[in-house]
Amino acid sequence: MKFLCRSYGHALKATLVAVALSSGVAVAQDYSSMGITDLVGSADRMLQRGDYRGAIPALIEVINRTGPLTDPQGRDTAQTCRFQLARAYYQVGDAPAGVTVLETYLENEPRKKERMALRMMAQGFFDTQEWDKIEELAMRLLALPDLEKEDLYNANLLLGQARFRQEKWAEAVEPLGYAAKNAKDPRVEGLCQIMIVRALVEAESWRELFGWIPRIYRTDSKYDISLNLTLMKAGKARFEDDDFLNALLLYRMVLPREKLLEFADVRIEKLTSKLEADIKRGIPEGDIEERRTEITDIKESKKTLEELPAYEDEVTFRIGQIYAEVKRYWEGYVLFDELYKKDRTSEIGEASMLQSVLILYDISQVERAEERIILYLEERPDGQYARTLLSMMERDNLIKQNFSGVIGMRGYIESMPATQDEDELSLQSDMHYMLAFGYFQDRKYKEAGEQFSVIIDNYKQSQHVADSIYYRGMTFMMQADYKNALTDFEQYQAENEYGEHLSAALFREGVCRFGLEEITGAEAAFTKFIDTYPEDVLVSEAYSMRGDIEAAKEATNEDPHTLDRALTDYRKGIDKATTSLQASYAAFQAAKVYKLEYKWQEIIDLMNYYMDRWEEKADVAESVFWIGQAQIELGQVQDAVSAYLSSIERFGNDAEQQGVDKIILELVKVANFHLSEEDREGLAVKLKLKLTNIDPRYEVLRLRLQVAQALLQGDDIAAAMGAELLEANTDLKLTTPASLSLMCDAAVDTGNVDEMQRLYDYFVTNYEESDLLWHAYRAKTYMHLANENDKEVLWSIDEAQGMFGAEAFMGWAQIIKADTEFRMGKLTEAEASYNMVMGVPEWRGPLFAEAMYGMGNCRQEAGDLEAAHSFYQRVYLLFKSYADGDWAAKGYLASADILLKMGREEDAVNTLKAMLEDPYTNTNPLAEKVRAQLKKYGSQ
Amino acid sequence: MNKSILCLALSGVFMTGIAAEAAPIKAKLIMPGDKSWEGSIVGREVGPNGDWIEFSTGKSPRPIRLGANTIKELVFDVNIDQDKLNEMNQNREYERIISALDRAMAPFAEYSDIPSNLSRYNALLMELHYKTKNFDKTLEFAGKLAADDRDPELQEKGRIYQALALIDGERPDEAEELLSKYGWSEGLSSDAAPEKLYITAKLMTLKKQYADAMELVAKVIAFNSQDPDWMQPAELLCAEVYTELGMYDSAEEVIRQISLLYKNTNEDDLAQQLKIRIEKLRAEKELNESLESEEV
Repeated sequence: MKFLCRSYGHALKATLVAVALSSGVAVAQDYSSMGITDLVGSADRMLQRGDYRGAIPALIEVINRTGPLTDPQGRDTAQTCRFQLARAYYQVGDAPAGVTVLETYLENEPRKKERMALRMMAQGFFDTQEWDKIEELAMRLLALPDLEKEDLYNANLLLGQARFRQEKWAEAVEPLGYAAKNAKDPRVEGLCQIMIVRALVEAESWRELFGWIPRIYRTDSKYDISLNLTLMKAGKARFEDDDFLNALLLYRMVLPREKLLEFADVRIEKLTSKLEADIKRGIPEGDIEERRTEITDIKESKKTLEELPAYEDEVTFRIGQIYAEVKRYWEGYVLFDELYKKDRTSEIGEASMLQSVLILYDISQVERAEERIILYLEERPDGQYARTLLSMMERDNLIKQNFSGVIGMRGYIESMPATQDEDELSLQSDMHYMLAFGYFQDRKYKEAGEQFSVIIDNYKQSQHVADSIYYRGMTFMMQADYKNALTDFEQYQAENEYGEHLSAALFREGVCRFGLEEITGAEAAFTKFIDTYPEDVLVSEAYSMRGDIEAAKEATNEDPHTLDRALTDYRKGIDKATTSLQASYAAFQAAKVYKLEYKWQEIIDLMNYYMDRWEEKADVAESVFWIGQAQIELGQVQDAVSAYLSSIERFGNDAEQQGVDKIILELVKVANFHLSEEDREGLAVKLKLKLTNIDPRYEVLRLRLQVAQALLQGDDIAAAMGAELLEANTDLKLTTPASLSLMCDAAVDTGNVDEMQRLYDYFVTNYEESDLLWHAYRAKTYMHLANENDKEVLWSIDEAQGMFGAEAFMGWAQIIKADTEFRMGKLTEAEASYNMVMGVPEWRGPLFAEAMYGMGNCRQEAGDLEAAHSFYQRVYLLFKSYADGDWAAKGYLASADILLKMGREEDAVNTLKAMLEDPYTNTNPLAEKVRAQLKKYGSQ
Repeated sequence: MNKSILCLALSGVFMTGIAAEAAPIKAKLIMPGDKSWEGSIVGREVGPNGDWIEFSTGKSPRPIRLGANTIKELVFDVNIDQDKLNEMNQNREYERIISALDRAMAPFAEYSDIPSNLSRYNALLMELHYKTKNFDKTLEFAGKLAADDRDPELQEKGRIYQALALIDGERPDEAEELLSKYGWSEGLSSDAAPEKLYITAKLMTLKKQYADAMELVAKVIAFNSQDPDWMQPAELLCAEVYTELGMYDSAEEVIRQISLLYKNTNEDDLAQQLKIRIEKLRAEKELNESLESEEV
């Protein structure tokens, strides 16, 4: 890089005019004989003609003669001629001689052209590249007083370049900045700016650099190849030093190679044609050389650039990485997206795809991320990031508990091409593992187990094998396949001495043995668990389970204290519980045992202990329910009622406190069986008062109190309330099991199929653990009945019976099951089902009659008329009083009908007559029909 | 400084060769086919007989009369100290420049409907009014420039400021219509012009479609980083949209870069204000989170 100082020639001419004392013509070459004035005039003329070489001897002669003079005029002449002589040397290309003369000039006085002399000297050192000397001269120039703008500009330009060349980076910036700011020639301005950037990069003065960059990038300097290469190199160095911010700002200034080359070509073309035109016009050789050098420099930098391996994509990728690193995710995303779109199959394209997806997840653009992954998987199932991306998507769905989303990826997981690559195999097993959990969490235990088996069987090196054995055991256990579950839990324990699930596997072993009715083994497992892992999170449950085992044992003379041991375990269960659920289970199981032993005060004490221990996390409503029961047994009925009312009021507005609903039902029971008429009225008044004074915001509590009030008034009022709630399209968010039960029953009573479905769904979703859930199943069963979908009816009943068995309130299920089987022509099953009704003492009543009648129907349908007659006969003989004699009347009629079919007309008539004589049936509406029938037979 | 004195001083800065309003205005008149005359405009006559410009070349005693709509261009002799103007612009003394330019342009107001060399000053006024948030005025100038097809670059600039003024003036429907008219709402890929991406991003921001806006403004930044004219406002918009998206760390990172790269600019000032807003939003968020966790 070479620069000239501005206005150099022009200033020199001005000096020469001043120097010329006369304009005489020197014709002789022998200057020794010439007078001083003629000598000077001769030199001046030659200089004006441009004959610098010719002027040199004359000027030397003048200097020789005037040099020793001490008078002011003589010294002035000597100095002026020294200056002119130096200029002449410069003009003839002998800069070193010129420099020597200028050195003498600068050592003497007067120095009227000191500034110019200094600049010329500096220029002389340019050729010899003596930068230290140039720096010194420039500094000397700058130290002069009253410098003009032009001098300041030139001095700074010289100083900046000299320091730049000496790699005094930081010191070069200021003078170059001055020169750039004051340059009239845009080319010089640009070159100064480029040097500044390089100097700042080398000096690592980032802040200052970034202050310059916007200015430079408004000019064509940004296309300078060396500038771009400098920035790229610096960017890379910063990036490798983890200095991301600076790396980013450097990298992003780098222009694409094609833009740089394009600009360089245009520039070469312009400079070349201009140079050619100027040569034709005639310009100094020095200028020609200088401009040729400039063109060559551009060509060389172009060549360097062309020889560089492609950098654009790598730079773009790095910029994307940095953007992502500094949390400018969207900028990173669009860059990676662009690279990926540009070439989807190249290594950098695929890597960009991966990066773009990672960012999309970072910025919660999950849908786009998934779309992109799916597209990639469809296009390139064998792509190098296929498994990585799929696993990422699966993990994200799993974390977000979108289990159906996880399961939905099964097709892709299973269609991944076979591989022997260890990393890929590891990823593949990860995916099966997550898929298994997707199924597990979605309660699809069979499919979950299959996926765990895939890992156990096909990925034996996988880190998930041991866990898969444990969790497969869990899937078996959840399906009540205790045998296989036990095998897995035992295997896990045997193979994983320090396994994460070792304690849990032992606990589950106990559960499985319990399920397999290996009670002794179960007890031993729980005991071992308690002894080995006394602080484990499951220890409370182990105590509770062992308590259950003890409680179920028959007390004997040899072992009379089973219940005591059970109670001890339950107490431990409460103490060791880490969750309120664990404590609640133990506490209420213990309460049940105390109840068996009629230890009412102990129940009260235990519940208080439990509530103190768990405070607001305790199931207070349930506890109060138990306390109330115990108080009633202890004759403290009013205390129980007060506690119940207080609990309803305190917890009743929280729909999740299901114990409140139990209390309501218990309160109604207590009122009906333990309170006097007067006390019942008092209770009704209290409820009314509470309803009157209730905070209008407590809508759940209001509804609960209304339900309690209705239930206290009897079944009909309660049923009417259920119908009202249904009619009013009550917001289900306000409902709880007590009100939902009434609404379910009302839906059944009114045949409102839509409501049956809606209420069932809400009930099951929100109160799955409720004791009143059977109302929902009943509604669902009636819905299927209304839809004449017998299979679904039976499914629904199976579910309900699976949960509630043969509880007193479940008779409806068994009778509907039998009726449905009968309707389906499954006579044997139907008769067995009817017969099962008779086996449940709690169902004694009209259900018995109905079941017996149903059995008759089965036999009649099967053609076994004798047996059918026998069942019908039993209906009117055994269950006369049920349902106001309805079933007895039906029995009489069916019996007579069978007798007629058997040809025993007389017996039939007698049977009908007996019905009319029977006080339970002779007033039944069916009696009229019988009387008419007998008339037909001519008898009354 | 007293405001009126200041205005006078500024007038002095800009107007060195402008005649008084009533006096003839020195100008070069160019007709279609590029035939031109040097002289002065001495008047304008608008009446039932047409719209006439009276122009004196000084060679004949009576001015020539030319139909205003037949004139291709008027080149006025406007003498403005460009260096001073640049300096004031750099110092962000926008109101002062507007005031001075208004005065400088006043003598030519009567001829503002005729194409002239005043367009570049009108463009400057358009930008200045935009910077001072006077969007109606911006639209006034931008509309004229956008309708003038003699200088495609200025015309494009006029269109850009039309869109910007409509968006910043919160007139999304009109802005959308304009973008659609200019075909800017299509082809917003990575190689789209930065101004097109930026303007559409701004419109999306106004419509609270922040993710869409973010993607567009990210394209300006990612693919036009060597274009300081659009990078500067784009980085500010980027920080704003990150804030709206609740991505405060990202927004603060952008602000850090703005203050590093664009010190002492409007964008830097606004970024610093945004930083304060983010601090407030972050505090509110943390408070809400702590309240929520207490509730849990």
